[in-house]
Amino acid sequence: MRRTVVTGLTVVFAVFVAGLVATGCGSDSGSTSGSSASTTKASEVTGAITVSAAASLTEAFAEIGEDFQQANPEASATFNFGSSGTLATQIQQGAPADSFAPADEANIDELVTAGLIAGEPTVFARNRLVIVTKPGNPEQVTDLSDLADLGVVSLCGLEVPCGKYADQILTTAAVTIPTERITRGQDVKTTLGAVSTGDADAAIVYVTDAESAGNSVETVTIPDAQNVTAIYPIGVIAASTNQPTTRAFIDFVTGPKGQATMRSFGFLPPD
Amino acid sequence: MSRRGRRTPWFAIAIAAVGFAFITLPLVGLIQQVSWGSLVDDLRTPEARAALRLSLVCSVWAAALAMAFGVPLAWVLARVEFRGRAVARALVLLPLVVPPVVGGVGLFYAFGRNGLIGQYLWDWFGIQLTFSTAGVVMAETFVALPFVVITVEAALRGMDRRYEEAATTLGARRSTVFRRVTVPLIAPGLVAGAALAWARALGEFGATITFAGNIQGRTQTTPLAVYLLLESKPEIAIGLSIVLLTVCVAVLAVLRDRWLGAG
Repeated sequence: MRRTVVTGLTVVFAVFVAGLVATGCGSDSGSTSGSSASTTKASEVTGAITVSAAASLTEAFAEIGEDFQQANPEASATFNFGSSGTLATQIQQGAPADSFAPADEANIDELVTAGLIAGEPTVFARNRLVIVTKPGNPEQVTDLSDLADLGVVSLCGLEVPCGKYADQILTTAAVTIPTERITRGQDVKTTLGAVSTGDADAAIVYVTDAESAGNSVETVTIPDAQNVTAIYPIGVIAASTNQPTTRAFIDFVTGPKGQATMRSFGFLPPD
Repeated sequence: MSRRGRRTPWFAIAIAAVGFAFITLPLVGLIQQVSWGSLVDDLRTPEARAALRLSLVCSVWAAALAMAFGVPLAWVLARVEFRGRAVARALVLLPLVVPPVVGGVGLFYAFGRNGLIGQYLWDWFGIQLTFSTAGVVMAETFVALPFVVITVEAALRGMDRRYEEAATTLGARRSTVFRRVTVPLIAPGLVAGAALAWARALGEFGATITFAGNIQGRTQTTPLAVYLLLESKPEIAIGLSIVLLTVCVAVLAVLRDRWLGAG
């Protein structure tokens, strides 16, 4: 009896490992997909850097990471995407990152003040916010004031940049959504997911995230007078042991190829 | 021989000590972060009070529902012979090992507005369970139910059935036998099951945030508040953590003394 249990568990474990290897999570994965191939062997690939970046940069940076690696075969960039606040906290607590790209200036300024950033951060992109609804806009949302009457509105947490921006926008438009109808996401991707795959009626997210979501949501523009501009700075972490590669990556992001990629994902130029 | 058997196995004790430290050090780390002076004020903030109140209401509901469905389920699994019973038991116990987030995703595709059952609830009655307090109770019941089943089934299998047979022979009806003989005999199992289910429901996070979202006062239970306040208001998050920790320690202490047999 016990023997069969042990045999059974061994089989289950073996199948699990075989599955991992078959799907390319093993150590021999051809690291073409940037974000998923995160376990590069430092001893073989010289110049691997880690970039902690805002969740809204997920798609654009994944592509830029691949292009960067093609342009610099000796180097590679892996990413740690999350809410800018969480990433800043991780870096303050000594997380091994080489570069930081949050979705607002407050989070990087905090690290600059703490002496954790080498040199000055560079602004490399801007972004705007939009309302997204279910496909076909069943609740017929046309402007911000309609959000006050919906069942559930998904907004980013107030400690996350997109949550602060959404709060500013609603304040400017003098729209108050009752607290009991706001669900808060940990970052912009979960906030959008509450509408695209969940049961929330609308969300306020970045233009770029709405574009990445494709047909799973419908976009309702927020007029310029009420909108805010999100600013994306990028900087080198002072504790980085690979600052030349990190600077090369930042130059790549601010260079023509990187900027073209940012544009293709809907980001605005830095100025 | 006897001397050898009694010699202190220092090696095992050393490893056990490391294991013990590994479990207890995080608790110590948490406790030494508490700002005791402001603890009461931290727990009186609106977000902390809303989370605690919601957690209390939802976990009690979830424990009650887990008992209401779990006890009959345990009885069927213990007493009724049917084909596929082992498979049925394994399925019922699945939430013990499945990541709660996966459970939440499953609940969504079953009870969400487009889910298997949820679409009819929404189309016919306008009932939306996602993002509702009822959704929190469902998510918590989902993870708590197996604790009732596993505990009560063990109690039913462990009891001496001759008492039931004697009562039946003396002319008691089935319902009377269950009420007057079976329930008293498995009472320790029932209490342990309810307490474990309640403690598990109180700590539920993954299924709740996935299925019911994170709405302050409506679906933001204490664990969700801990997670989301950790960056902006760490003192409140730590205060709430201490409350959860204290409750769990109390549940274990009570269970150990009264029902599980002190060591």
